[in-house]
Amino acid sequence: MSLPDESLIRGLSTGVPGLDRVLGGGLPEYSFNLIAGGPGSGKTTLAHQIIFANSTPERPTLYFTVLGEPTIKMLRYQRQFSFFDPALAGSAVQFVNLSEEVLTGNLSGVLERIVGEVERTKPGIVVVDSFRTIGGRAGSSEQLGDHSIEQFVQRLALNLTSWEVTSFLLGEYGEDEQRNPVFTVADGVLWLSQATDRNSVVRKLQVVKSRGRAPMPGLHTFRITDDGLQIFPRIPEQTRARQQQKRARLSTGIVGLDEMTGGGIVAGDAVMLTGPAGSGKSTIATQFMVAGLRAGEPGVIAVFEEYPEEYLERAEARDPQLRKMITDGKLELIYLRPLDLSVDEALHEILAAVERLDAKRVVIDSLSGFEVALAPTFREDFRESLYRLVGALTATGVTVFMTAEVVEGFTDVRFTAEKVSFITDEIIIQRYVEIEGELKRVMAVIKMRGSEHSHELRTYELTRKGVTVGEGLKEYDGIITGIPRLRRPLAGGPADPLVALKQ
Amino acid sequence: MKQLIRRSIDRRLAESDAGLSDSAAAALAGEEMYVSLARWIGTDGCHALFGRARAEAEGSNGALAALTLRPRATPYIDGVAEIVVKYGEAETAKAIESMLIAVTEVLGRLIGADMAANLIQQSLPEPSQKDDSEQIRGAHG
Repeated sequence: MSLPDESLIRGLSTGVPGLDRVLGGGLPEYSFNLIAGGPGSGKTTLAHQIIFANSTPERPTLYFTVLGEPTIKMLRYQRQFSFFDPALAGSAVQFVNLSEEVLTGNLSGVLERIVGEVERTKPGIVVVDSFRTIGGRAGSSEQLGDHSIEQFVQRLALNLTSWEVTSFLLGEYGEDEQRNPVFTVADGVLWLSQATDRNSVVRKLQVVKSRGRAPMPGLHTFRITDDGLQIFPRIPEQTRARQQQKRARLSTGIVGLDEMTGGGIVAGDAVMLTGPAGSGKSTIATQFMVAGLRAGEPGVIAVFEEYPEEYLERAEARDPQLRKMITDGKLELIYLRPLDLSVDEALHEILAAVERLDAKRVVIDSLSGFEVALAPTFREDFRESLYRLVGALTATGVTVFMTAEVVEGFTDVRFTAEKVSFITDEIIIQRYVEIEGELKRVMAVIKMRGSEHSHELRTYELTRKGVTVGEGLKEYDGIITGIPRLRRPLAGGPADPLVALKQ
Repeated sequence: MKQLIRRSIDRRLAESDAGLSDSAAAALAGEEMYVSLARWIGTDGCHALFGRARAEAEGSNGALAALTLRPRATPYIDGVAEIVVKYGEAETAKAIESMLIAVTEVLGRLIGADMAANLIQQSLPEPSQKDDSEQIRGAHG
């Protein structure tokens, strides 16, 4: 006789986007699970989402409610979610109230009722909500009826597993209660939490325990919408090596910039364009995207600083085809502006769009807006989070073009405001300089990993058609100070270069 | 919902070997509805629902004021015989039926008419449940 192999432990798909991946392939069938967390953390919604994805009249769910939230109120709220199918209530999903048995304080009676209902209904899934009200009451005295809580949990697990039931106990447990017997007996423990930091609320899920599976470690953010929970699996430090590229060059759509970069952006690289407000970062990023679209490369633009319609209107003034590109499924404009965003959620949205379109180019406009959109708790780890985000994106083979705003005076210069230049392969800077009493824009390529590039500072102009790069300012020194000086007097002119400039 | 309740009462009348009166059949339908709903939403929740329904229906059915609802007791709907004496068979049957309709309406407002209908449908006895309801039937027979 041989032991059952792993393939015999089928994975039960949870129906919760992202959760199967976090669990390492769904929940093991017939497992005995605990969904723990504080009030309002989403336990009941998670359980409902799982049961409505898995219940049939032939293999129904028995949902035992105990004390706490009245069943009618629970149904009233839960039915607002899109996954809730009222037609299944009564047949595929059956609710059973255990209040009477629990109020007697006799755990034998509770167990007897649960097992009796299971024998009668032969469910595929059993939920007890909230188990804490059973365990909590029993916990107030050492022994109730002829059961201790340890024995009760043990016998409940044995019975439910024998009936080939996947079960979920829901309960409000604190982090300091993990010695509770239910944690020991449970095959899987999902921990839901929510933290409020200033005005943002961040929800997180952790797989504390999962027998027979290798879940993704760490805390995973999730959001509850009208569709229920959506989990955003934490981006691993390094998902995989970058896809091998042929080091092809991608046109930026700006002739002069292509020259400065030695033929264009290197395909698969992460590029950062930094500059002060009004320097044309978004314009250049859009031109880069349009150049790709014209070359048949679909793309994704993630905007953080303005509404998509505004962004589109502005971009359309230069390229009227942009809206059609969206209609044709070549371009997707993602709007990510909530103030409680997690990096994982942003990555999920961008990656999903990349997959939908088979995109080759991604624009993130801008990192400054992205940082503001993040919940405060993630802003603290912005550099690390961005490192993971860029790593995960470039691992798919897309070329990532990011913009970042820098605030600078005329007498100093910063290459990047975000101090995240280490995550990029290529850095292009923009800045204002004063020449002849006018503000002029200049740009330079200051980093191209493994590639030759121009070291010139070149002027450029923002026109209705986009950016036009001019000549280098070879005759000037001190350009990066913002106040250039002519290196030598003009032929036949006065000795003072500033006078010469004014002429 | 009205038709659902009507069908439920008619079914009790049709299944009765001993010739149930209309008021007894209505009380029996209510009894079974109570037991079935209590399994879903708990005894207290169900009693609260019936209490609200009675209050709503009482305005147009004065007979309901004399009806006793006894949670955790069998029968749940008590005092029917006394009401029949005071108000007559037809008035009593109509009053109980109105209360049951009000139960479905209140439940429908709370959780949606479709789901409420599903739950009420569950209270219609399956053939195998006939024996289980004998005790209740005896109380109203």
